[in-house]
Amino acid sequence: MKNKINIYLIEFAINAILRQKYKSLFVAVVFILLTFLLTSVFFITNSIKYELNSTVEALPEIIIQKTEAGRVQNIDVAEVDRILAVKGVSDAYARVWGYYYFENAGVNFSIVGVDKFENQYKNSLAKIVDRFDFGEADSPLMIIGKGVHESMKKNYYKEYFNFIKSDGTLKKVTIAGVFDGDTQLESNDMIVMSKETFREIFNMPQTKATDIVVKVANSSEIATVVSKLKLIYPNSSIITKESIKVSYQNIFNYKSGLFLALFIISLFTFFIVIYDKVSGLSSEEKREVGILKAIGWRVDDVLKEKFYEAAIISLFSYIVGVGLAMAFVYLFQAPILRDIFVGYSELKPSFELPFVFDIQTLFLVFFLSVPIYIAATIIPSWRVATLEADEVIR
Amino acid sequence: MIELKHITKIYELNRADRVVALNDVSLSIKEGVVLVLKGASGSGKSSILSLIAALSKPTSGEVIVDGKKISKLSDNFASVYRRDNIGFVFQKYNLIPNLSVRDNILLPLVPLNLDAKDAEEKLALVMEMFHIAHKANAIVKNLSGGEQQRVAIARANINNPKIILADEPTANLDEKLSLSFIEILKELKSLNKTIVIATHDPLFFNLDFVDSVVEIHNGIVR
Repeated sequence: MKNKINIYLIEFAINAILRQKYKSLFVAVVFILLTFLLTSVFFITNSIKYELNSTVEALPEIIIQKTEAGRVQNIDVAEVDRILAVKGVSDAYARVWGYYYFENAGVNFSIVGVDKFENQYKNSLAKIVDRFDFGEADSPLMIIGKGVHESMKKNYYKEYFNFIKSDGTLKKVTIAGVFDGDTQLESNDMIVMSKETFREIFNMPQTKATDIVVKVANSSEIATVVSKLKLIYPNSSIITKESIKVSYQNIFNYKSGLFLALFIISLFTFFIVIYDKVSGLSSEEKREVGILKAIGWRVDDVLKEKFYEAAIISLFSYIVGVGLAMAFVYLFQAPILRDIFVGYSELKPSFELPFVFDIQTLFLVFFLSVPIYIAATIIPSWRVATLEADEVIR
Repeated sequence: MIELKHITKIYELNRADRVVALNDVSLSIKEGVVLVLKGASGSGKSSILSLIAALSKPTSGEVIVDGKKISKLSDNFASVYRRDNIGFVFQKYNLIPNLSVRDNILLPLVPLNLDAKDAEEKLALVMEMFHIAHKANAIVKNLSGGEQQRVAIARANINNPKIILADEPTANLDEKLSLSFIEILKELKSLNKTIVIATHDPLFFNLDFVDSVVEIHNGIVR
């Protein structure tokens, strides 16, 4: 009884690949490179998108920043009561936060001041305040993100860190713990300490805050609340979560644009290989098709064999390319390529790309490569196989 | 029975360049006979073999084998006809040089997807018959001309065809190997196969087992 799958035909196809080892190797290398590049970029994109979305979701609905002559100034803490009086506002918090540039490592830390006895404006901070104590004023403590921890360790600050205050003196703050935030992008460069310590380091008076965040109970009322706040603070900057999301996406899209050049180059290379295949078979390949026809192979036998040949090369290359991309992105954290997307890494400590499995990405890369290559192999073979065998082998 | 009726074959290389390979050729070859087509290079001998094997189609006229008009067959039916009826020994053997002897001989069976046991039996039979079993795993390009020809003959016979066509079979062989090939032909004739040989080698013209010799000159049967 006949088997459905012709093992001999597959064996012959494998033999044909091995007989043309240099050509097969070249095609496989180009194919693997293309699959690897495309998949890596899609994996990085997915991971960063996931991170950005999580970061944006954790943001407050509205942020009010005081501006003078277009520059952001510290805002009066007393404004919180005025804002709470606005209908639709469920809560308002005065935040103290800022950036501290650590010259030795060449990175910026985001420092957030919290008060143990106040409600926190987001869950991640509330958890930290519940878990850790920030010590007394004379022996202050801080909780730091993973990236900060790495940067400090590299500079021999394993138990404490000396902040340089605005008057030039040092403020020693002990490391009480390392935390994981809601997302790595958000928490990696973060330091959480008491508001008191923050104010001392940055010389910020008790009556001032960096900005005020506003919570709105009903999200459909955000626009109304924003317009009310604009009336109260005509010269202030009122930022919504949506507008931050848009600006994040703009930065990300700009980074993606840079990649487009890389993407076009790899596609271009692939299509040159494809063009080379479509434009015809070598005289040796033509002769082989002619011989097969002359000894009784039908056109569909020849095409089946060519299909197996192309499918073996392309599927093998696709699997290797995707496997390498997974290792490159999630195991080695995509060195070089990642910097195209997170180009501000010189200012921010590094973060880990989270594993995001997206089956659509794998399908997209598959359909952009495997069927195109198979078609490019079969079409010229079909052209030769439909010629008179005598004409081909003469 | 093979019949060629008023066959004309014209190769048009381009509009200006036409070659009339066969001009109104009619020929009849009975089953089980050995026929030698003799003639100089370019006389049209190979074209006749090519038409009998359905490797090409006549410009006009008909090729009929066992009552079937094979010159009218579609490409796929022509392949099946060749696979089931024709064993072709080409002048340049037309083997796949980087494949082993075994794999070359098995090639016509590949699309049939036979059971491994059946295929191996057929393979063993032809390798034994044409004395090439000892080279089964050798790569064809490393074989001598005589050995390559025996591989080609074994391949042509693996499907046990009724008709054997040989195009200039001794052109690349020395006298000893040519005589050895003639012995093989004798053996094939004893199996009642119809054999058509296109050659200009005089060695074939006076062989006792050859039933007829037909001369072709400039595409016309003399």
